[in-house]
Amino acid sequence: MRILLAEDEPALCDQVKAALSAEGHAVDIARDGEEAGHLGATEPYDLIILDIGLPLRDGLSVLKEWRAIGVATPVLILTARGSWSEKVDGLDAGADDYMTKPFHMAELAARVRVLIRRRAGWTRPVFERGDVTLDLRSGRATKAGMVVDLTQQELAVLSYLVHNAGRMISRTELSEHIYEYDRDRDSNTIAVFVARLRKKLGAELIVTSRGRGYMIDGPG
Amino acid sequence: MTSLRRRAIWGAMLWGALTAGLGFFALVFYFGTTAASRFDAALAARHARAATALALAQGDAGTMALYLADPEYARPYSGRYWQAVAADGTVAASRSLLGAMLPAAPPARPAAVFWEGPGPDGPVRGIAQRIELEDGRTFDLRVAESLAALAEERRRAIRSLAAAFALVAVLSVLGAVLLTGAALAPLRRLRQDVMHRWDAGGRLDPEAYPEEVAPLVADINTLLERNRKVIDTARRQAADLAHALKTPIAVLRNEIEAKAQRPGDLAAAREAVDRIDAQILRSLARARAGNAAAAGYRTPLADSAARLARLFHRSPQADGRSLSVEIPAHLTVGMDRQDIEEVLGNLVENALTWCRSEVRVTAAAAGGTVTVRVEDDGPGIPEAQRAEVLRPGVRLDTRAPGSGLGLAIAADLVEAYGGRIGLGTSEALGGLAVTVTLPGRLGILEAPGAAP
Repeated sequence: MRILLAEDEPALCDQVKAALSAEGHAVDIARDGEEAGHLGATEPYDLIILDIGLPLRDGLSVLKEWRAIGVATPVLILTARGSWSEKVDGLDAGADDYMTKPFHMAELAARVRVLIRRRAGWTRPVFERGDVTLDLRSGRATKAGMVVDLTQQELAVLSYLVHNAGRMISRTELSEHIYEYDRDRDSNTIAVFVARLRKKLGAELIVTSRGRGYMIDGPG
Repeated sequence: MTSLRRRAIWGAMLWGALTAGLGFFALVFYFGTTAASRFDAALAARHARAATALALAQGDAGTMALYLADPEYARPYSGRYWQAVAADGTVAASRSLLGAMLPAAPPARPAAVFWEGPGPDGPVRGIAQRIELEDGRTFDLRVAESLAALAEERRRAIRSLAAAFALVAVLSVLGAVLLTGAALAPLRRLRQDVMHRWDAGGRLDPEAYPEEVAPLVADINTLLERNRKVIDTARRQAADLAHALKTPIAVLRNEIEAKAQRPGDLAAAREAVDRIDAQILRSLARARAGNAAAAGYRTPLADSAARLARLFHRSPQADGRSLSVEIPAHLTVGMDRQDIEEVLGNLVENALTWCRSEVRVTAAAAGGTVTVRVEDDGPGIPEAQRAEVLRPGVRLDTRAPGSGLGLAIAADLVEAYGGRIGLGTSEALGGLAVTVTLPGRLGILEAPGAAP
């Protein structure tokens, strides 16, 4: 999943990015409100983590603008301002969750997973299809009860397809959601990742439609 | 002397005593001199009549008595006497003398002289004159009157004057007390206004005071304003500092957790960060409690509760738990919106954390006091531990943030406003019942008619 992290403290950015990358997410960083507003409005993020006290523009007004122009990406506010009134104001501005600094990284990661899952309309944290399972909380995949080792990129591709199960996903869209903004996006490597996933989890899990993209069958 | 009132009353008493005393003595002196001159004038008139009688009667005592028909001359020791002594020692005298003699000193001269001396019944004042008749005989003529009546009259006058002046003195002191009270009333009002300055909208109106007090009122306004600014700045700086510290603490905590390989690693560092975090939360809560000094807040309780309910219904914490809010629409509390929301938010979060499935928020007003109850169906808190949970200082250092800290912060805030938080057992749900009591101006009940 591709996540925008709008935060001006470099050390905290590095930590959050490291933690989320380890879960297979691609994390872009915006250091101020202007940049965050622009990226959030133009890039197809699956989640935005937004600090309120950003330089140049405060996070709340950025969030209101996104909602006004129709950006529906889930937003998790991560801020030092932790009064209940501020939380309500944040959610009223269109945020989906609110976390107060200093936070526990494990909790942030958990909330990120919940928000992404909720957006996908996925209520259970474990995906099951045939003899394949994917625990969306831990990123652990099994095949016939055996744990399957996945690389970060493989997990990113699989989890994006799972979260969008039932929908045909083009290579371009996949690459947009698993690579960060400043990376070279080579959609050919996507084919390589999909091939490896098929090998590890079985050829029938991911449906390929030549020229259109990939899909995991929807639930039911 | 520090009391203006006492100064004014003492001043009025001294001034009253001085003026009343001077007036008293002046009147007594005036009365004395007029009485004396009236006495002398009457004496001189009687002396003139006696001299005429002596001349007409040619020294004959019986004939003189006929001419001097005043009955007082006939009554023994009446205090009014005449006596004519011829050169040969023959004495003609009023019957009132009863044979006694008026003193012979001072010796009579052709010109009439006043004299004083012992009479037959107390001291007398009289006129003596040597009178020569046409036949060449000379008489020592003396007319006298007792001074007792004059002295008595003088005593009576002093008595009635003293009574009158005592009354004047009492009235003037009384007047001074009333006048002082009236003059100092604006100062008394100023004191009350300063005490309730926030009720007056935080500012005193100099126009509402007499011109002597108005500059003082303006100075007090300036002082209040400056004081408020200093407090505001200090509070804002404390809050800013606390907020600024939160991001580095987040970095520190993440770093510690990343470095810890096994659970229990770096426990001391982790605990230190938790303590810093708790202190910051506490200091933020204190900075927030500073708002309580101000007044004039009117926050609709139902609105704030609805805002929080919206928040909780959307949070993952509410999954599988029901939160119901029943607050009359017309209830208003005299607390800053952020503060009442902080109190309710902490209490509801605490209840949602501990409940099995249900949290209920209700509010009611009775006799100007608004009572808010947050109840849950969780395990509750044993009676013995309830006081400990709310005790200041203890709770923060002994409890990890997120468990119990919310109750403590809520209690701090409510107490800063002069309200009270009580813990009990919920009769309806069986878990903890937290009761927030907001008395007086904190629990403002709008007229039900104003409710939509």
